[in-house]
Amino acid sequence: MNSNTSRRDFLSTSLSAGLALPVLGATSAMALDPQSAKAATPAKLDYRTLGRTGLKVTTVGMGCMITSDPSVITRAADLGINYFDTARGYQHGNNERMVAAALGARRKDVIISTKSHAPNKEEMQKHLETSLRELNTDYIDIWYLHGRNSPDEVPDDQIEVQQLAKKQGKVRFTGISTHNGQQQLLPWMAKKGVFDVVLTGYNFTMDASMDQAIETAAKAGLGVVAMKVMAGGPRRQKHGDPVYKKLTQEGAMLAALKWVIKKPNIATTIPSITDMDQLDENLKAMASPLSAGEEKILSAHLDAIRPLYCRMCGQCDGACQKGLPVADVLRYLTYADGYGQFALGRERFMELSAEHKAIRCGDCFECSVKCPHGVQVFQRMARAQELFA
Amino acid sequence: MKTAALLLSILLAAGVARAQVALDCHFAPGWEASGVVRQFTAENLYDYKDGAADGYLSYGFARMSTIDCKSGADTLTIDVSEMNDADAAYGLFTANRDPKLPIAPIGMGGQIQSQSATFAKGKYYVEITEVADNPEADHTAVMQAFAAGIEQRLEGRVTAPEALQWFLQENLDSIRLIPESVLGLKLLKRGYVAKYKQGQAFIVLESSPESAAEVFKKLRAHFDGSAPAQITDEAFQAKAPYLDGICVFRKGRFLAGYANLPDATQAAALAAKLAPRIP
Repeated sequence: MNSNTSRRDFLSTSLSAGLALPVLGATSAMALDPQSAKAATPAKLDYRTLGRTGLKVTTVGMGCMITSDPSVITRAADLGINYFDTARGYQHGNNERMVAAALGARRKDVIISTKSHAPNKEEMQKHLETSLRELNTDYIDIWYLHGRNSPDEVPDDQIEVQQLAKKQGKVRFTGISTHNGQQQLLPWMAKKGVFDVVLTGYNFTMDASMDQAIETAAKAGLGVVAMKVMAGGPRRQKHGDPVYKKLTQEGAMLAALKWVIKKPNIATTIPSITDMDQLDENLKAMASPLSAGEEKILSAHLDAIRPLYCRMCGQCDGACQKGLPVADVLRYLTYADGYGQFALGRERFMELSAEHKAIRCGDCFECSVKCPHGVQVFQRMARAQELFA
Repeated sequence: MKTAALLLSILLAAGVARAQVALDCHFAPGWEASGVVRQFTAENLYDYKDGAADGYLSYGFARMSTIDCKSGADTLTIDVSEMNDADAAYGLFTANRDPKLPIAPIGMGGQIQSQSATFAKGKYYVEITEVADNPEADHTAVMQAFAAGIEQRLEGRVTAPEALQWFLQENLDSIRLIPESVLGLKLLKRGYVAKYKQGQAFIVLESSPESAAEVFKKLRAHFDGSAPAQITDEAFQAKAPYLDGICVFRKGRFLAGYANLPDATQAAALAAKLAPRIP
């Protein structure tokens, strides 16, 4: 992203690009809701190809992690959603069991991904067998290494376990799920050439470096699945918080989902769905493109988080009297608070000189640095010191 | 600004002090801490639990203390989650318990396995996970020792939520607290669901009889072709896609009933047995 480009500009630019580019491999179909408890409404489905796997996936999939009733998953499958995500670690395995109960009769019609967070090769092999048993299936469509945030966290012997499972026919495709460090991990995966899919956090609050990482992965043939598409969603916010209000306003979550599926490099998304109403709402994301009104909703949300997140524009007004590199520290905080990359933020902070690390902004009478975009510099610097120091 | 900063630091210190659970690794011989106790709140739980964080947040998560322990080549991690209330802690335990294993009498309830343990006590939910050098080794005794030691340090209720006793016990498989959207219905916000060999029962507590009546009215409108049933304050039965035979009744502030039975009559018959058990 150009350093002079504001986050709002970035949003508009990205949206324009997303709308202008053709959606490769996309097709449409209409699925009829066969027996909804409510009035049946036709669902328009969009499909994309999941990278080199060749699988045709609906652009809206389903994250099953916090779904509590299997009927929601069954209905999602009946309505035509064909990508379902779970993990060995979700609810100590209970989630895989519920997914199996919900999809049992439709196993061949759907794509199931699960993940292993095993710390070593032996545990990983055990996880695979347990996942197969709990999912009540002979094969897993996509098997991810769970939550790996740098190449260092992907040992060769675990890749070997994945490849062996593929040869044995227990797994069709392999991948990595990642929450942080995508800018480093995705190009590495692209170059490594042994993975088929990447599951990554991605949403409208992220900057262009994430788009570049995803494009690199997609160009290398990796299928890209997006999670955290609702930017953390209202669960992450506290009631009464203005950000919470913005996120819970009607249409905000749908707009966030539409923003992601407009990106041609994203094959599918896995928003968490807990009830029939959310399911119906998310299905709308495939029915119509992001509108100007929805774009305004997202812009309003970005305005709401503006006092919190440094946009890294480099236009700080003034300099710290004690020599602190304010823009850098705010950037580290954005890694943690904005993009969920706490480890990266702390790592960068710890690279500051001992003198800078020891400074506490609360010792100053007044902050000499002002942000032209309204970031509350003093409060944010104090938070960075509280979080990282 | 200095005053504000001082006030902020006092508040932060108070928050941290409140969050701290006396946690170490000296619950079994040979175990030592590997690193310091780390604290997480709802704001940064994602940094530790990554994708699993939503599961905690949905149950009403406040904060977590965690420590890594080491004994030779074996390591274990203790996570003590402080939830908003004891019901939430027990609810998270029910979400994570293995329904095939019995509940152990530790705190409000727990499960001890060869290399892991979970339990809830008061508003605390505890997970102990070992990564043993030998994955097949039976370290149940170590898990028991850690669970017992940690339980002693935690304050709070040791009895399971009363509502669990209200469910019919015959053919009962397991009971879970569902933190949102009971039966996949947004109208039913939070409640207990009991799975049976056939069908499931649910109990949802609303804030007042009036709000329960309002939800009941909307629920009835949701199910096309429902018919009234003669149970307590008001009730209906219906045959619905995905939930099959269903019967819902309202008793004061409670909404309860049965679902996923072959037909609505069966659901209504069981609901009639459940109703008098609810106060």
